[in-house]
Amino acid sequence: MTSKGLPSFPMTRRHALAGLAAGTATLAMPGLLRAQGETIRIGFPTPLTGPYAAEAKDQVRSAELAVKLVNDKGGIGGRKVELFVRDDKMNAGEAATRTLELIEKEKVHAVVGSLSSAVQLAINEVTRARGVIFVSISQSDTINEVKDFSRVTFHEALNPHMTTAAVARHTFKPGMRIAYLAADYAFGHEILRGFKRAQAAIGAESVGEILHPIGAPDYSTFMPRLRAMKPDILCICNFGRDQANSIKQAVDFGLNKQAKIVVPVLLYTQRLGIGGEAYEGVIGGANYYWKLQDTLASARAFNEAYRAAYKGAYPTDYGAYGFTGVSSLLLAMEKAGGTDTDKVVAALEALTYDVAKGPQHYRKCDHQSVQSVLVLESKAKADTPDEADPFRILAVEPASEDILRSCTELGFPS
Amino acid sequence: MTASVHSVAEVMAGPAGRRGWRERLARWRVPLSVLVLCLLPWVLPSQALAVNVLIYGLLAVGYNLLFGYTGMLSFGHAAFFGAGAYATGIGIGQFGLPWFAAIGYGMLAGGALAFVVGLLAIRTRGIYFSMVTLALAQLVYYTALQATSITGGENGLRGFTLARIDLFGWSIDFLDPVKKYYVLMVFAALALWFVSRILNSPFGAVIEAIRENETRARACGYDVERSKVMSFTLSGLVCALAGALFALHLAIVPLDILGIQTSGMIVMMTLLGGAGSFFGPFVGALAFLLMEDVVSLWTPHWQIVVGTVFILFVLFLPKGIWGTLLAWRAGR
Repeated sequence: MTSKGLPSFPMTRRHALAGLAAGTATLAMPGLLRAQGETIRIGFPTPLTGPYAAEAKDQVRSAELAVKLVNDKGGIGGRKVELFVRDDKMNAGEAATRTLELIEKEKVHAVVGSLSSAVQLAINEVTRARGVIFVSISQSDTINEVKDFSRVTFHEALNPHMTTAAVARHTFKPGMRIAYLAADYAFGHEILRGFKRAQAAIGAESVGEILHPIGAPDYSTFMPRLRAMKPDILCICNFGRDQANSIKQAVDFGLNKQAKIVVPVLLYTQRLGIGGEAYEGVIGGANYYWKLQDTLASARAFNEAYRAAYKGAYPTDYGAYGFTGVSSLLLAMEKAGGTDTDKVVAALEALTYDVAKGPQHYRKCDHQSVQSVLVLESKAKADTPDEADPFRILAVEPASEDILRSCTELGFPS
Repeated sequence: MTASVHSVAEVMAGPAGRRGWRERLARWRVPLSVLVLCLLPWVLPSQALAVNVLIYGLLAVGYNLLFGYTGMLSFGHAAFFGAGAYATGIGIGQFGLPWFAAIGYGMLAGGALAFVVGLLAIRTRGIYFSMVTLALAQLVYYTALQATSITGGENGLRGFTLARIDLFGWSIDFLDPVKKYYVLMVFAALALWFVSRILNSPFGAVIEAIRENETRARACGYDVERSKVMSFTLSGLVCALAGALFALHLAIVPLDILGIQTSGMIVMMTLLGGAGSFFGPFVGALAFLLMEDVVSLWTPHWQIVVGTVFILFVLFLPKGIWGTLLAWRAGR
């Protein structure tokens, strides 16, 4: 949870405003509200504190960049865009409260954000009841399903199903023996379900699965059992620090010599955090990797803008969600000519956008962003002269509905 | 914790002038508290924060009945708060109950759970009592985590949003934050009156006697065990009502509500405001949530600030904000 000072996003100004409002009734200041009517306000709840703080800060930086690029071009129809960043503390109740505050007090026109399966569903419950557009940028299968879907719910992030389908397509072979180690919570279960489905379709064999508690520091009791399964592939279905810890211990037990280690999401921040040795040869999926710039003009433009804004740093995978999510919303607002919800929803449904990773669009039935999935391999230390370039792009699974569950399967009327 | 309390005996012993002031305040404590609650949405930075102060304040009031007045430090009250919230949400979303019946259902569930936990936990004392309540609350947490088909598990309970509520022919827009606040406040006010009545009753004197000296209360012929279970259940009942209001307010029940952090937060709020004082828990909830709201806008390290303030209070003002104010006013 190391958090250095953030580059100046307008928190200080917000703080000043909050202080001003603290003593006085907000409703007694109609002048202030009228003045705000000019700007387009976007709420951005994300876990600035908690285990994914590093990823959340990248999200904020990227989202700020998307807003800045639009404002530099004169805004949307002459209206400036402002981002209201709030700490949801990785807590669904807190996120719902903050979202209520964003809607009721700041009168935001749309909400983008979240970095947890449970948190995004909580935000979605608040926004859909009030008809406010929500673009979720965190992985979830549940949000696609008809029960949680609404006209104003959009899902920009990959979902576990498509991530695992793409990763499995490039790693699993018929007849292979697959063992699973999965975190015992919603994301881990969804990933596990996705991999097993892909494994059955490909014709590989499952030799066992072990669930571990989320946030477990010690995996040594699981490793001998996993070894005894004699797998060809070890699928480690978890996220964040859990991923780094479990891979490290799997390597200590020599599992990387016996089997190929495959993860759903290969995290850039975690890889830089624990170094190259443990991660060597690990394969995983990603929504974005900056090296896409070798083949994609949009990725190059995004990287250059990001590096110019943040002292030469490269955008990260989870950070990029902040950029693509906010950008797609702003593009739709531009097409809709303002913030009218019905028009923006229609514009989002009709939109095809390429802002960082090739063409993307929101599928009509569940508003899932159909997009490319990258399959990456972590390079050996000797092959990594550039510290910032630890991965090799094995494949780019093109944007296609093939790797999504069908609309009928999600419960939508066909 | 006995130090933070101004008991009936203490008030009686005071000089006539002071006694008059204290008695008047005690007699009007419910209307005065409700008056303060009426003003909250207009003085706080946001209505969402005001509703949270209302809910967590009520939660701390319920907890205070056990901790401040009966002298039992429970670390498991998140279970009753959560049970109230889950039962209310399930009542509306899965059984199709009307909203007020769902509140009743939530209270029933939370109260029943408190009765069972109370029966088991009062067999121990002191730190062991705290540990048993904590362990039983964790049991409830993991049950909710595993029972995914009923509770939604990790993703939380969803799908029971009330857009409008009907009451005696009126239809109220429940998405309007101010209207929602005042509807929920009516329930909080009733609960405050209920707690005040309990404290003024002979039973209220008995639980304070147990807090002051359990052996002596037993020697006087009071059934200590029964009173403890009763106090535990009533406390759980009020906390379950707070949970029911929470469910109506956010229209979700996150799993974290049952977590150990919630139990810790309840203790913190009660101590911060002043354990064993009637209005102290509300002051504690207000102070805690306001600090969290304002400081977390300013720095991601808000926990350091809130934690430091809490430590300073425990060290230098053990009676809490409200308790210290009362003591200072009485001591002049």
